[in-house]
Amino acid sequence: MKYKILFYIIAGLLFVSPVFVLLLQSITTPWRFQTAQEMNVQLKSFAVLWSDPNLWTATIGSIVIGAFVLLFNFLIGITAGKALALYSFKGRTLMEALLLAPLLIPVLAVAMGLHLLMIRIGLADTWIGVTLVHLVPTVPYSIKIFHHAYSQLGKPMIEQAQILGASERKQFLTVELPLLKNAIRSVTFLTIVISLSQYAITAIIGGGSVVTLPMVFFPFLDTANPSIMAAFSVWFAAPPLLMYILIEGLLSLLPYSQTPWRNRA
Amino acid sequence: MMKKLYSMLLFFCFALLTACNQTGSSTNLQELKDRDWSTIVEEANGSEVRLYMWGGDEGINEYIDDWLQPRLQEEFNMTLERVPMNTEEILQKLQTEKQADKQTGTIDIIWLNGENFKNAKDHELLAGSFTDQLPNFNKYYDNEDPAITTDFGTEVEGMEAPWGKVQFVFHYDRAKIDHPPQSFDELQQWIENNPQEFTYPAANDFTGNAFLRHLLYAKAEKPSAIYAQPFDQKQVSEAGDPMWTYLQSIQSDLWRSGEHYPNRLEELDQLYGEGEVSMTMGYNEARAESLIEEGVFPETTESFVMEPGSIGNTHFLSIPYNSPNKAGALVAINDMLSPEAQLEKLKPEVWGESSPINFDELSKSQKEQFESVDRGNSVLDQQELEETFLPEAEAEYVDWIEEEWMNELVQN
Repeated sequence: MKYKILFYIIAGLLFVSPVFVLLLQSITTPWRFQTAQEMNVQLKSFAVLWSDPNLWTATIGSIVIGAFVLLFNFLIGITAGKALALYSFKGRTLMEALLLAPLLIPVLAVAMGLHLLMIRIGLADTWIGVTLVHLVPTVPYSIKIFHHAYSQLGKPMIEQAQILGASERKQFLTVELPLLKNAIRSVTFLTIVISLSQYAITAIIGGGSVVTLPMVFFPFLDTANPSIMAAFSVWFAAPPLLMYILIEGLLSLLPYSQTPWRNRA
Repeated sequence: MMKKLYSMLLFFCFALLTACNQTGSSTNLQELKDRDWSTIVEEANGSEVRLYMWGGDEGINEYIDDWLQPRLQEEFNMTLERVPMNTEEILQKLQTEKQADKQTGTIDIIWLNGENFKNAKDHELLAGSFTDQLPNFNKYYDNEDPAITTDFGTEVEGMEAPWGKVQFVFHYDRAKIDHPPQSFDELQQWIENNPQEFTYPAANDFTGNAFLRHLLYAKAEKPSAIYAQPFDQKQVSEAGDPMWTYLQSIQSDLWRSGEHYPNRLEELDQLYGEGEVSMTMGYNEARAESLIEEGVFPETTESFVMEPGSIGNTHFLSIPYNSPNKAGALVAINDMLSPEAQLEKLKPEVWGESSPINFDELSKSQKEQFESVDRGNSVLDQQELEETFLPEAEAEYVDWIEEEWMNELVQN
């Protein structure tokens, strides 16, 4: 009990209060310390934000690309994670190391090579190209997370379903997915946040034809106006939250989920 | 069942991968050379022009989106699309496209100067010489003015058209300082009397480096010994020594006793806005106006320049080698150089930036319009700016200062 209170205090101090300050700054004029100046409420920074004609295309672009990146991450992460955790085959360690390799090399170092490749296969300046390139910094994490999740789940659990005669599909839906929920949550958040903050590779591969949120947002980091930056940051936090809620909604449709409209008895 | 689903999805991915391969090539700038202007305007009619530029200033963005865009639409039936992207990324993109021999790009106009221009020119990323084709350039701009024919010491050779001009100024808070320093010696005195109240951005910052170039100009025999000379390691070291001595002597009285320098100008601006330091600086003589209006800077902010003068530079518009709509780009650039567009740009509520246009070529009423623009209280008057104007030195000086500053001030 005592620890619980401590947890809330620390969490409140470190995570909730900065967000509160950010929200406050976004709707007030820049603060000047030690001048006894009162806080002036203003909505101009949000007006600046909304007046940017690129804002909505960029936001929608980011969400759509994020959704596809997430989908591919699930497909690749779940299959690769399962294979690495449950099957033994020759060269498994090597395979695992290779799959995690992109984490060790900065994406920017290979951006030029990737761009050349994208130009050759005709995907430069398209949103498909951007989606694919966003897989580079995200997929290794997903594989790692699902690998871990499947290791925890263990082979016996799946064998049990097989012995009871469940088809592969049923086994996946009723045994694996419900037990992977936490992993799915982590992957969702991590993937969306990483995909959303890719500026350089999006700019280069998307070539300006694909406008995402950081393309509009990042140049504003050069302004000295903290109100505008705060407003942008608040806006920036919306897509991951939206996606999280969406995935949470989808998860509640899984079998054995506790949902408000189901009896918990 | 699952396997089938996966293979279908994989197939779908590859189908997407192989689809939409674009072909075709763009017109050569050379072909447009032989046509007269009205044919070029006709060709641009109904086309789309994509302008790639840094997008971090809402004043500039609004000038493009709300003023220029409707104007081009109305007069030439052209759609201007502004794409926000940093110049470094634009050049990297072009560089890779060049390597892959991609002849149809996505960029029609880029906004650049200095080192970026030098890079683009050296790597042949630009379409070529075009300014002598623009009626407005020929009519209103002085093509012998060094501010237009050279860009940080690099010969322009008509490969970029002058769009704007900025000059370096210092800002101070009138409420705290009565008489701003007039020279680097006075500044040194002031810093000594007011410890912790002055600092400058680190040398790898654009503005911080410009501050140091002013000091280098001041410590050289005369400023032209730097800007009129090609970079020479030995010669510059001579002027460099008193500069490093100066910087070391003020260091302990700087903000945070000089143990930490702001990484970027924005950090210094914030310190100034919060009242931590009493001076800031920047490469645009009118930039304080919008910051005062936004409430970032105190209302008592004013500007000053010091001996031996204030460095100014011109920024330019250019066309990449693989622009798909070069005719449209020419028409748009020509219009951005027009007196009307330059006048609008000068207004403080729009952008507030001064024009590289040659005032002698303007008609009387045009001249009056330019003169009647009130640029705001924090902006020095045009005459003082012109009298103190100093041109930029070669781009090599920038790298040299950055490197030596690290050695002399950070590592000691």
